[in-house]
Amino acid sequence: MTVAIDQSMAIRHRRAWSSRVLAVSEPWLYASPAVILLSAILLVPLAIGISYAFRDIQLLDPMSGGYVGLSHFSEIWNDANFWNALRNTLQWTVVSVILQFVFGLILALMLNRPFPGRAVVQALVFLPWAVPAFLSGLNWAWLFNPVVGPIPHWMVALGLASTPENILSDPSHALWGPIIAIVWWGIPFFAITLLAALQSIPKDIYEAAEIDGAGPLQRFASITVPFLAPTIAITLLLRAVWISNSADLIVVMTKGGPADSTQIVASYIFTQAFQRLDFGYASAIAVVLLVILLVYSALLIFVRQKLIKAG
Amino acid sequence: MAAIDITDVHKSFGKVPVLKGVDIAIASGEFVVLVGPSGCGKSTLLRLIAGLEEMSAGEIRIGGRVVNDLPPKDRDIAMVFQSYALYPHMTVAGNMSYSLKLKRTPREVIADAVTSAGAKLGLGLLQERKPRELSGGQRQRVAMGRAIVRKPKAFLFDEPLSNLDARLREQMRFEIKKLHRELGATSVYVTHDQIEAMTMADRIVALNGGIIQQVGTPLELYDDPANIFVAGFIGSPAMNFLEGNVLPGPGGTGISVGGQTLCRLSMPLAGSAQSKVTVGIRPERVMLAGDTSGLQAQVVLVEPTGLGTVLHLELAGQFLKLFTTERPALKIGDTAGVKVDSADLRFFDAATGQRIRVAG
Repeated sequence: MTVAIDQSMAIRHRRAWSSRVLAVSEPWLYASPAVILLSAILLVPLAIGISYAFRDIQLLDPMSGGYVGLSHFSEIWNDANFWNALRNTLQWTVVSVILQFVFGLILALMLNRPFPGRAVVQALVFLPWAVPAFLSGLNWAWLFNPVVGPIPHWMVALGLASTPENILSDPSHALWGPIIAIVWWGIPFFAITLLAALQSIPKDIYEAAEIDGAGPLQRFASITVPFLAPTIAITLLLRAVWISNSADLIVVMTKGGPADSTQIVASYIFTQAFQRLDFGYASAIAVVLLVILLVYSALLIFVRQKLIKAG
Repeated sequence: MAAIDITDVHKSFGKVPVLKGVDIAIASGEFVVLVGPSGCGKSTLLRLIAGLEEMSAGEIRIGGRVVNDLPPKDRDIAMVFQSYALYPHMTVAGNMSYSLKLKRTPREVIADAVTSAGAKLGLGLLQERKPRELSGGQRQRVAMGRAIVRKPKAFLFDEPLSNLDARLREQMRFEIKKLHRELGATSVYVTHDQIEAMTMADRIVALNGGIIQQVGTPLELYDDPANIFVAGFIGSPAMNFLEGNVLPGPGGTGISVGGQTLCRLSMPLAGSAQSKVTVGIRPERVMLAGDTSGLQAQVVLVEPTGLGTVLHLELAGQFLKLFTTERPALKIGDTAGVKVDSADLRFFDAATGQRIRVAG
């Protein structure tokens, strides 16, 4: 009798335990395909990439591959080229983002008022966004080239230069070449997002302000700007991450030169990895860039939360 | 305070005419309600007065001054929008003081104006809130506060109550009316709700298809409609319209509906002798005979409203509503005897919808 009771309790106990395990693991089972896929394509390469930063990996040296600890990072600390690239990254990002924003806002404001042919102009304005970055880099490199492009000759005609020279080969101004290209390429992004934000402002608030006696500038300052502020803040911050990270235009137009004058951190990583074939050092720089961008992103998320709360 | 004179105003959007020659003279201090179905041009007319749209032709004067070419801010009017159009990033006090700040009014004057407007509208404790922290009714009050701090020559209201629930609407109707009595400001109020028009207006302007149908006091429009549109638009439940035949005879003019004689008029109908006429009668003027005398009608639907009962009847294939404060013991399918007093009948031209008066 007692034995039978003990047995049935044990079975019940076992069943209760297994059903509890099932209940806990059930949601994880459902989520497992996504979890496995994400770790396989995101986390595993990320971990491998980060591990390279602590190893000596040089493609042309079959003896390399050993663990080197933090020596790459101390090398970076003393690498004048890296600091130069970081300074360039700052200039490249700040100038490009501000110019893209200013021109994007002007375009959005112009496209927000009805005029005949607006649909066509709108489509044309958004065209650069559809051009691959590689192609627009080539295109601008040619435009700046005095042999095939008109821009140097226009500069001479306008009295801005004495002889038609390639801006991309002048170390003190070369960074402006890729900046102009990325501004041209990125204006539509700001124009689209800001136009969408502008169109979501109710018209009758402008009318109420008009009746209250506000002129065009006052309406812009006290209605348009506060309405756009959250969108502006978020797009500026996001765009800054993208631009600081994007090396393609620089690689295509100047390859970081002349004399590293257009090297940004992202293009420096590319140069280290694919020209010097030093994957270990390139990975270490990439980790530094990752940390900088993570700090920046944390700031971004914090600002975003603040804005949402202030709403 | 100022009179508003609207003379032969036309407005077209592209090729679509919206207002086709509107004349209204609004006296100083008057509360005028523009009423009509959606698309009748009432909001457009209000926006023309405000200066938010340009008129195609005509003239508008506010306080004797032609304002055709004046921008909204120079017309000295205030407008309350259907959506309230509050500045979302400004506080209640900021919303109300914005216009005064733009005029560089001294700070103490602004503070006084905002405090007194807030007190008048019961917004005293909400001054530092943002619009999104307010209920619909409170937002409505802020919108009105924004209008009254400026002490404008005229108030324009564009369906200000249509976003509120029924009970709040009733309360705000009362408050707007009270405010108007206190301030005595000329007000133009646009609504599609005939109850708002009836209860608030000194005079109603009924608009349809961009043309003024009738101008008059609420009861004039109710009792003496100029045409079938006004008769049908004003009043709830709406006026009944029956297709009748005119039967001239020696003892007077008879009007019959579906073979049954509705009434016999001692005087003929004005105008030419027509054989067909539309007969209008208010539901509360249709009476139960109490027995099977009078017109015979079938009960189609019984709607108890608490205050009374609306009976939907079928009279020779035509529908007729009857409103009574009694609670008659009639069921669907019963036959009821109904009677009408010929003085309560309104006759309309069956073709044009225009009122036909009884001669004499």
